[in-house]
Amino acid sequence: MPRKIVKSKYFFEEDFIETIGEVSTEKVKDWGPNSQLKVVGKSLSRIDGYDKVSGTAKFSFDISLPNMVYAKTLRCPLPHAKIKKIDISEAKKVPGVLAVLTYENAPKIPWYYGMSFLFDPHLRYEGDEVACIAAETEQIAVDALKLIHVEYEELPFVVDAGAAMKPGAAKVHDAGNVVRGEPQIYKRGDIEKGFKQADVVVEDTFSTQVEIHNPTEPHCSVVNWDGSRLTIWDSTQGVFSVRDAIAGYLKMPASKVRVIKKYMGGAFGSKLEAGKYTVMAALLARETGRPVRIALDRRAMNLAVGNRPGSVQKLKVGAKKDGTLTAMNHYSYGAAGAYPSGAGCSRPFRTLYKCFNVRSEEYTVFINTGRGRPFRAPGHVQGTFAFESIIDETAEKIGMDPLAFRIKNYAEVDPASNRPYTGKLLRQAYKRGAAAIGWQDRKPAGSGSGPVKTGLGVATQIWWGGGGPPAYATLKLNRDGSAHVIAGSQDLGTGTYTFIAQVAAEVLEIPMEKIQVTLGDTAVAPYCGSSGGSTTAPSVSPAVRDAAEQMKTKLISAAAAVLEIPGNQLVYKNGIISVKNKPDKKLTIANIVRRMRERVLLTTGARNANPSGYAINTFGAQFARVEVDTYTGRISVKKIVAAHDIGRVLNRKTLENQVHGGILQGLGFALIEERVMDEFTGKMLNANLYDYKMPAIYNVPEIEVIIVSEGDAKISNTGVKGIGEPAMIPTPAAIANAVYNAIGVRLKSLPITPDKVLMALQG
Amino acid sequence: MNNFTYFQPKTLQEAGEMFGKSWHETTALAGGTDLLGLMKDDIEAPRNVVNLKSLPGLNRISYQPGKGLKIGALTSIAKIASHSDINKRYPVLAQAAKQVASPQLRNVGTIGGNICQRPRCWYFRGDFHCLRKGGDICYAVDGKNKYHCVIGGGPCFIVHPSDMAVALLALDAKLTVYSGGKNKTVAIGDFFVLPEKNVRRENILLPGEIVVDIRIQELNNNTKSGYVKFAERGVWDFAVVSVAAVIQKNGNALKKGRVVLGGVAPAPWFEKKISKKLSGLIPSEKNLDEIMKTALVDAEPLAMNEYKLPLAKNLMKRLIGELTA
Ligand SMILES: Cc1cc2nc3c(=O)[nH]c(=O)nc-3n(C[C@H](O)[C@H](O)[C@H](O)COP(=O)(O)OP(=O)(O)OC[C@H]3O[C@@H](n4cnc5c(N)ncnc54)[C@H](O)[C@@H]3O)c2cc1C
Ligand code: SF4
Repeated sequence: MPRKIVKSKYFFEEDFIETIGEVSTEKVKDWGPNSQLKVVGKSLSRIDGYDKVSGTAKFSFDISLPNMVYAKTLRCPLPHAKIKKIDISEAKKVPGVLAVLTYENAPKIPWYYGMSFLFDPHLRYEGDEVACIAAETEQIAVDALKLIHVEYEELPFVVDAGAAMKPGAAKVHDAGNVVRGEPQIYKRGDIEKGFKQADVVVEDTFSTQVEIHNPTEPHCSVVNWDGSRLTIWDSTQGVFSVRDAIAGYLKMPASKVRVIKKYMGGAFGSKLEAGKYTVMAALLARETGRPVRIALDRRAMNLAVGNRPGSVQKLKVGAKKDGTLTAMNHYSYGAAGAYPSGAGCSRPFRTLYKCFNVRSEEYTVFINTGRGRPFRAPGHVQGTFAFESIIDETAEKIGMDPLAFRIKNYAEVDPASNRPYTGKLLRQAYKRGAAAIGWQDRKPAGSGSGPVKTGLGVATQIWWGGGGPPAYATLKLNRDGSAHVIAGSQDLGTGTYTFIAQVAAEVLEIPMEKIQVTLGDTAVAPYCGSSGGSTTAPSVSPAVRDAAEQMKTKLISAAAAVLEIPGNQLVYKNGIISVKNKPDKKLTIANIVRRMRERVLLTTGARNANPSGYAINTFGAQFARVEVDTYTGRISVKKIVAAHDIGRVLNRKTLENQVHGGILQGLGFALIEERVMDEFTGKMLNANLYDYKMPAIYNVPEIEVIIVSEGDAKISNTGVKGIGEPAMIPTPAAIANAVYNAIGVRLKSLPITPDKVLMALQG
Repeated sequence: MNNFTYFQPKTLQEAGEMFGKSWHETTALAGGTDLLGLMKDDIEAPRNVVNLKSLPGLNRISYQPGKGLKIGALTSIAKIASHSDINKRYPVLAQAAKQVASPQLRNVGTIGGNICQRPRCWYFRGDFHCLRKGGDICYAVDGKNKYHCVIGGGPCFIVHPSDMAVALLALDAKLTVYSGGKNKTVAIGDFFVLPEKNVRRENILLPGEIVVDIRIQELNNNTKSGYVKFAERGVWDFAVVSVAAVIQKNGNALKKGRVVLGGVAPAPWFEKKISKKLSGLIPSEKNLDEIMKTALVDAEPLAMNEYKLPLAKNLMKRLIGELTA
């Protein structure tokens, strides 16, 4: 099969990445609209649904090995401290305690880009790792942790990004609190000039909270040494990235590390990197000579495995009376936590609308809290909230309908690169979404009577999500016509298993039940990237189609040899190959494989390269209808219409699941979720699932999903783009705009909790 | 969680004796929905745990027309929520019960445990050695106090978390408390204590004293009652503010009423002024607005909880309006 090695660039989670990978250059016919397909695009239940619902599915958390021991971590109770003395003697005496790791006896493994170690006596946030105990039971480990006596030297701390920027603030690192020592600046055109051309200029400040991922399944690993080989069952979004990281940390060949992840209960970006806990478990397993299970508790998950950084965003937008945007300025800061991560949020601001004069200046600062990690559309959710709020304010100031204002500034090409898009159907999303929500009935802001007021709001979404190489899939075809697809990707609960089976079934025209899919095992699967950036389906599905198309070609040429008829005279249908116009002259897959005297036919497919010279993006518009009870400040989201352009839908059901999940997470971000820090002690106050409020089923609005795209043939043989992140991006902004429309008072700080609404209404 | 000795008494007397000499290290266990959390988080560490569920007959509800209602302390919240006489005669209580926590917690949690549950202040529940845990300071007074009290506070500023207690106070319930070998009756209004009196406890019970049952008098046929709860998430959430009202009508005007607020004070808060003003009131929108001006006048909100004042007034107005419409 034709292959070549190319350079390829696409967006993954927080930035553009450049990859060199072998790609398929095979051109296959575009599938056309889903209506012409048999399996792809249908609303099918997950192939792993029964296993999950019946409880037979084993998540990494459920893995239990004979003779296994349990590890638990002691975490720093203070926001900033140095260990003066640590005494583990009492803990070690507890019956059942097998090993204790601290900075004094553990290998000095560099962590956080060399800024710290696996165990570091300098602790920079509440929840930082102090010691780790392996014991016969989890309870013994928990009890023994309390007998480790640590004497801390308390250091000055800062837990608020704004405070950390001020001169004289406590220093998280000696080099100062601004990451890299300077802001990230972007500019195009000349904003001074642009603002002069404006008829109206709107300025406002918005802020967003720190959000915690809190996936259902805790971060956890089970590790087992078999001689010099290490097997890790990990709850991860990237088996290969964990494998390579662990091999690096433990200085062993990657081939000796096997990482397995079969089922996972969510991650949202918090499981893209190898955890300290995994390395600790591996060290403890080596020391005890037994398998070790380590799982974080909910408190640790809230403190130590990532968050969406908060933001303060000062925006300025200039527009002409006719609605033309003339200039835009964005200044923002947010906190990385105690070690580097990104808090920037200006990308939607730079890329959503046509505007020639744009500038942004973003500061990421260190504070004494857990480090940020990518979180479902990093930067975009908070950036879109502020930007789409001020876009509404500007529209109102020039007396334009907010939707008309957006369409007026529609970007026909990527405003940052001037490249054309491979596809952009945002206009259709606006149009069909507006019709579905009843936009024409939208009333002026705050014009309703009675204590409960209704409002409509809209917000736009842009994201990447086109995926790219390298991504491979191996297809094995058995003599009985059953198939097995193996790929080094992973299913986070998003439906990867299912769409892979669908793609293979579509091409080979065999029933889904005959297809087995294996994912998330570095020892058996060809490489795929981590599952993040909404890239899994767009990267992996073309590789699967490629493998299946190759298999089909192989079967046809084998049949040609058997029948001694040229391949182009043969027809492949429903797994049977017959001679054109002679339907009774035919061979089944089993006939062919048997004649070839093979039991398994094998192909490996690859993702193609992305087309050069194009911008690849997903788009969407969400419309919210809310009710605000002015007696209580309660916001009830009644309906969300989500209209998106995300290329081809592989499975309508799992797509809708993604949209529902994204909207619910967006609703939580808009209305109730928030990390609460006590500034005086530097400690988190709501590190549990009761006080850290997430939406419940009761809070789920009516959701209508509209997909305006049929497939983006320019990007791959499946034309798929991602939906995971796009689904969440515009929700908070759409809700906030609807709240303004309801009550006529704009709330600029998320989450919009009832107390804020009530106080705003009091004036 | 520390290790403890677990007792299963068969009679109240046995239970009382189990507290015995080590009463200060002994705790009663009902549904365990609060106590187990407190023990797992090392906020309470009793040496002995006495399981009240092993006592027979304490999980019954009996209603006798003319005489009133009696609810055993071990009755589950779910049972109260679905009891037909309670729904008919004491809607305020059924409505409160239906809004407690979640279905799972209502199935397991008991009414006795509900009124004896410990506060949810996140400093108290976290690893802060605050006044209520025997420490020197209240972290909430200058800290994150959005959910704390606006009245009746100091030196500690908790709110009492129970929904049932608010409804019971509006109904002027009486508690039977087993104490030192005999039963005594305590009016619910005397049961809860404010921090200025005892900063370590939320009620008058001494260790070893057990709530046995709760009695509520028969209500006059012209009486309406109801409970509204405002919680941020709307479900599976404690009240930010709640209101229980029991109002007797007399033609167009109101004869008398009791209005109690939850979520505003360290104990369920009887709104004396409003309750008094209900006598003789014609419940028009204007009149209700007028009397609300006198509500919570002595409140001293903290830096982050002033919103509770309009919220409480709006909820009172809404509930009284609905009950008297
Ligand atoms: C997540 C969550 C949400 C919740 N939401 C709400 C809510 O919205 N509204 C609400 O009102 N409550 C709420 N609760 C509290 C819940 O209703 C109580 O935990 C429950 O009612 C307590 O009953 P229990 O039988 O489980 O008590 P236990 O946990 O067994 O006991 C609680 C306390 O009461 C004491 N006690 C119990 N019975 C007696 C007795 N008969 N005599 C003397 N002392 C006794 C115990 O010693 C203990 O100190 C919530 C709890 C949780 C965990
Ligand atoms: S309000 Fe009470 S319980 Fe909360 S910190 Fe203050 S003293 Fe402790």
